[in-house]
Amino acid sequence: MRIFKNLSKDKLATISVTVIVVTIIVGLFAPFFAPHDPNQVNMSLRYASSSWEYLLGNDHLGRCILSRIIYGIRPSVLWVLVALFISVLIGAVLGFLSGYFRGKVDAFIMRVCDIMLSFPGYVMTLAIVGILGVGLGNILIAFILVKWAWFARVIRTSVMQYSELEYVKFSKASGISDLKIIYKHLVPVTFSDIAVISSSSIGSMILQISGFSFLGLGIQAPNAEWGMMLNEAREVMFTRPELMLAPGLAIVIVVSAFNFLSDALQVALDPKLLNSKKRPQQKSPTTTVKIQKKEVAH
Amino acid sequence: MFSKKFILAALVFWVLSILVACSANSANSDNEKKEDNDNKQKAEIVYASAKDINDMNPHFYTGSMPAQGMVYESLVENTEDGIKPLLAKSWEISEDGRVYTFHLRKDVKFHDGEPFNAEAVKKNIEAVQNNAEKHSWIKLSTKIESVNVVDEYTVELVLSETYYPTLVELSMTRPYVFISPKDFMNGGTKAGVEGFHGTGPYILTEHKTDQYATFEANEDYWGGSPKVKKITSKVLPAGETTFLALKKGEVNFAFTDDRGTDSLDVEAMNQLVDSGDYQLVRSEPMNTKMIVANSSKSDNPVSETAVREAIWYSIDRKTITEDILSGTETVAYTLFSPNVNYADVDLKKRGYDLEKAKEILEEAGWTLEDGDEVRTKDGNKLAMKLYYDSNSSSQKTQAEFIQASLKGIGIQLEIIGEESTSIANRRSTGDYDLLFNQTWGLAYDPQSTIAAFTSKVSYLHTTSGIAKADELYKKIEQVMVSTDEETRKSLYADILKIVHDEAVFIPISNGSITVIAPKNLKGISFKQTQFELPFEQMFFE
Repeated sequence: MRIFKNLSKDKLATISVTVIVVTIIVGLFAPFFAPHDPNQVNMSLRYASSSWEYLLGNDHLGRCILSRIIYGIRPSVLWVLVALFISVLIGAVLGFLSGYFRGKVDAFIMRVCDIMLSFPGYVMTLAIVGILGVGLGNILIAFILVKWAWFARVIRTSVMQYSELEYVKFSKASGISDLKIIYKHLVPVTFSDIAVISSSSIGSMILQISGFSFLGLGIQAPNAEWGMMLNEAREVMFTRPELMLAPGLAIVIVVSAFNFLSDALQVALDPKLLNSKKRPQQKSPTTTVKIQKKEVAH
Repeated sequence: MFSKKFILAALVFWVLSILVACSANSANSDNEKKEDNDNKQKAEIVYASAKDINDMNPHFYTGSMPAQGMVYESLVENTEDGIKPLLAKSWEISEDGRVYTFHLRKDVKFHDGEPFNAEAVKKNIEAVQNNAEKHSWIKLSTKIESVNVVDEYTVELVLSETYYPTLVELSMTRPYVFISPKDFMNGGTKAGVEGFHGTGPYILTEHKTDQYATFEANEDYWGGSPKVKKITSKVLPAGETTFLALKKGEVNFAFTDDRGTDSLDVEAMNQLVDSGDYQLVRSEPMNTKMIVANSSKSDNPVSETAVREAIWYSIDRKTITEDILSGTETVAYTLFSPNVNYADVDLKKRGYDLEKAKEILEEAGWTLEDGDEVRTKDGNKLAMKLYYDSNSSSQKTQAEFIQASLKGIGIQLEIIGEESTSIANRRSTGDYDLLFNQTWGLAYDPQSTIAAFTSKVSYLHTTSGIAKADELYKKIEQVMVSTDEETRKSLYADILKIVHDEAVFIPISNGSITVIAPKNLKGISFKQTQFELPFEQMFFE
């Protein structure tokens, strides 16, 4: 509740959340929102400019750009969210195991992480796509395989920090099972850390998947994807530059929204940060009052 | 929070200013460029190529043909008016058509100073014959029995049997062209060569892999030193990179490459012409662009004639040529256009007819269940893969367009873009369902393209799965050795009818070579082959 309260005070965060929620809903129910079939070829409308029927105009095959943008939400945003969720899940399980049990388990998991992290992410993804073949599914698999190690490491650090605290030690001494301690005492406190790190990596993942589609490694034609739409527009970049606008702006807006949200989330979850961030601006008396009020409220 | 808003505002301002600056720039750069060009005025061609010139060994097939065409020459030349002398000034053919005697030019030297004589011809042809497997597509390689030196400038070619396209095949850019015997490695060219010294109008002087290659005029060329003194082949990605490079004057020449890929789309080319610095020269239709179906892939629906026919019927060639290709190419309904030798054959015309396509599929047992999008037969889906050259923007658009119309009749087509080398590789290994390809151009059509039906590296996989394959191969064998014009005509007619009825080569359009060149470059012409340009005839005014 506190988080939402803090978030709702931040205008940028509110806008970001709205943008994200709207994007996700539109993406989930794409067939209801899209005015046309995104793969409907209509050569007589090739490169038509925007009209009431086709709000954003038509592409090189006369397909409705608006519908393609809407359908493009699915691979560009929704599937990225799924991939992110899975890699965070794997990272969290392993992070909790190694952070809580320490010792050999920790050493083993961390060495595996070291191996995974010693390769640059893009190279690993390219290698996996090279082995499995091109396609959205394979890129997502590659993402999961590459990203979990990083999440595992960050979550482990966060878990270690809390598992040393007195109340956890007390629970252990009173004979509560490890699983229950993790579930009852560690997950709630580390959850905020997890939320912040995962939300901050969504932006880069969306950019990466668009990048791979741009290179033709991601989703295959005719399915719509923002990166691929950009690549298609690139071919007529100097004759019809306006075609780059729609997919380009879509990516910029969604990625910025996720990044602003992640920033705001970090502040909202960690009141200390809120204060430290505000401190340089405390010159005006009004803001000081506000912050004092906030501190009181907490 | 204030600072964030400020940054956001700054960002928006920055983006806007770039946009404005860009549009202002383009106006400015036009003027600047004109000055640039005026300053340059040097007799130099820099052409953009999507691929490196690669291995220039003329007895292999990896090198870039336009580049090889500048450096190496053949005995005879294929022109519009038939076979003309080149390195051989005259020749005689024996009564039985088995012995060809060539009288060589006496004033020819290789770039390294070695004399070009009968001995060099013998060594080169033998070097090619030593690697016969690689040259199986060119039937002459299986017919040559021996090469004999008669005197220093007379050479005799003995064939095992009469073979009518001998001179045509000797005129090709490869493999029967000549490299200085000094460059041979271990007495041959099979293992590679030590240098690239041909007899042609240009000499390869510098080559940086995947960057550029420089060719300089051969001052001692027997036909007179070419007027354009320097030609550079610059490796640039196709599309907007090439477009920008042309605009900036970094390169000043671009043309359809030897795999039939245009590096610029039609609109970009028109824009360049409108700028006033460039001219667009288009050759006569030279080849047929088509989709090749792998009839030998028996586990795939593409091996069925009905499916191939349905695909043929569902391609709207008119829209492709008029809209996607902006009217630059003409519609093709047969593998070879009727103006090709022996190809004026009466064949059933299959136009754009979706209803007919559906009917054919229904008859063949591919039915559409209620609610399904893809037809099925015995539980198998009617799904295929189509490969296109990822460097060609028009192929991708065509592929997507065809994909959409096939979807309408219940065929699922997956389209995959790959490098041209990888596509060529797929063609020779048979690892494809459908792929974009083109016939080999006026000099090669129909005899070489048809001979290639039987060659593993070319279209064997395409033709071997059809019902009448044996008959087809027998006829191809016969036509190549027949001496009677009428028999040849009727055999070619039969061959073309078989492949047409089986619909293994699905024609789309008749393609030509497009050249974008500086406005003051004159003498741009084309050869009979679509793969190289006669640079030696060009000059700046």
